[in-house]
Amino acid sequence: MNAEKKITSTWLLWPALFMLVAFFLVPTLDILRASFFDPEFTTKHFVKLLGSSVYLDVLWRTIKLSIVVSLICAVIGYPISYFIVQRPRKQQIFFLFLIFIPLWMSVLIRSYAWMVVLGREGLFNSILIGLGITDQPVKMLFTTGAVYVAMVQILLPIQIVTCYSAMSEIDLDLIRAARILGAKPWQAIRRVFLPLTLDGTVTGAIIVFMLSMGFFITPALVGGRKDIMMANLIEFQVNQLNWGFAAAISIILLIGTVLSVIIIKRLSKILTRRLVGGGNA
Amino acid sequence: MTSILKRFTNVAVAALVVAGSASLAFAADKEITFSGSGGVVGEVSKEVWFGPFEKDTGIKINHVAAEAKRMPQLEAMVKSGNVLWDAMEVSASDYPLGVKKDLFEAIDYSVVDPENKLPTDTREKFGVAYAAYSQVLIVRTDKLPEGKKMESWADFWDVKNFPGPRALRGRAEDNLEYALLADGVPAEDLYKVLSTEEGLDRAFAKMDEIKPHITTWWTSGAQSVQLLSDGEVYFCPSYNGRITTLVSSGIPAEIVWNGGAMHKSYIAIPKGTKHLKEAEEYVKYRTTNADHMREYVTHLPYPGWAPGLFEGMDQALAASMPTYPQNQAVQFAASAEFWAENLDAIQERWTEWLLK
Repeated sequence: MNAEKKITSTWLLWPALFMLVAFFLVPTLDILRASFFDPEFTTKHFVKLLGSSVYLDVLWRTIKLSIVVSLICAVIGYPISYFIVQRPRKQQIFFLFLIFIPLWMSVLIRSYAWMVVLGREGLFNSILIGLGITDQPVKMLFTTGAVYVAMVQILLPIQIVTCYSAMSEIDLDLIRAARILGAKPWQAIRRVFLPLTLDGTVTGAIIVFMLSMGFFITPALVGGRKDIMMANLIEFQVNQLNWGFAAAISIILLIGTVLSVIIIKRLSKILTRRLVGGGNA
Repeated sequence: MTSILKRFTNVAVAALVVAGSASLAFAADKEITFSGSGGVVGEVSKEVWFGPFEKDTGIKINHVAAEAKRMPQLEAMVKSGNVLWDAMEVSASDYPLGVKKDLFEAIDYSVVDPENKLPTDTREKFGVAYAAYSQVLIVRTDKLPEGKKMESWADFWDVKNFPGPRALRGRAEDNLEYALLADGVPAEDLYKVLSTEEGLDRAFAKMDEIKPHITTWWTSGAQSVQLLSDGEVYFCPSYNGRITTLVSSGIPAEIVWNGGAMHKSYIAIPKGTKHLKEAEEYVKYRTTNADHMREYVTHLPYPGWAPGLFEGMDQALAASMPTYPQNQAVQFAASAEFWAENLDAIQERWTEWLLK
């Protein structure tokens, strides 16, 4: 690599680097500062936060909810992506287009739409009552289940697109080669295709997980009283102008998210190794 | 790396300077920027207040429809010394917050109300009350049991005689007062009781009773109307002005004024405004001009205290106002001071309680 080429390539990185530093790193460090300096150095925000059961309880609920949502998205998204990858090129574009359509609508509107579908006098209950399956409306709205349904619907496109792009890079002839070498269809998928695509799936799941960690409108609209997210607590404190405390909650949320992502990555590595090496089943 | 960072900082600073001077260049002399509600309130205000104000005084109002997060924005402006608003609406619960953080200019009453005509309790040091709004129980009358009428919070709590799904707002404010009223505490003692540990326990104990019957805990006024109109809940407190939306879309609904929480909205002047005199002019106009206020309440039932407001007002319209004497008498005055003092602590208990 000659010197001239090197300079050009560094320059290409500048805009991205600038954006990252100015709009991500600096604000994040500022939040960290705000959580410890108010205006003098203090640990009172963290003492208060860790001294009450509420905040860690809500953090744990937020993590649990996000994990469930990303698992459901991964399980539903994987076969859909596989289906799309197997189509001819033109059809692939058409299917991806269908996947993208819901992304054009605001999260708020999609959450309200679920209220219409799941409500007491909503679409599902009308169908159930109309078919005589039940005569009393079933409670679906304002439950944790409703939160899962709405969040999966909102985040699924992101999972599918990430998963699809990982799959589309894999030479499908590899599966054929495995079959020629004597692998059964399921074996070929499990020991060749699945390990190769797992990374993309996990990346998608991590993106979904991180987005879920910051959700608050959807759970507030369709969830029950226990579906409180960390972001709801942060929003409340910001509105009360308790910047320091809000910053401390954000830092805890950030730590919780990063730790969870590290654990997910570790688990996925172990899983890949198992899949490749594991038996002849 | 450090030199790169330094260069970035230079560029960023230069960009900010350019942006800053541009905003200065645009500022006209006789113009104020007003941060007020958007939506219907904004549209009506434009017609009833901003237009006539410009005609009468020559001061143009540049209206910025505020998002929900008005106070954090205001604090950022005041702290950075770049105050973009000259006057603003402040809700009852935000007013003490702004006073505590020193975000408002003191009101000069020799300009705003020289003849001392506004009621004393509307003349605060850092803001003037310009409108009343109530959080009142709204009842779907078509969902009531035959021949029964819901008349109080005790009725709301009485799930045997008034079966059906209910909702409350997902905040401690107002709800704890309702609980105490339902438990038989007289309206004038509410905050005395709530200020004690036993009183607070009593309110939460009463909330325990109703908790399993609450379908959902709403977070925005629009949501509460949606719940009532979809039949998702039959009984739900909301802002008094919201009933208009329900009734005009053909849904039989009724306000129970008894036990309602009456709040005041303030108009205040952000600290460090560059148009103090013009802003004061508008504060005066908005709070004391009875003719425009009378017109305003034909669109939105959020009346103020302009002297002579009820004179010549249509009787039915007057009776739908939260400040109409008969309505005001049965409500309680929500204490913004109490909540400013205690909200942080109570909210934590409230969240814990919701999760239990």
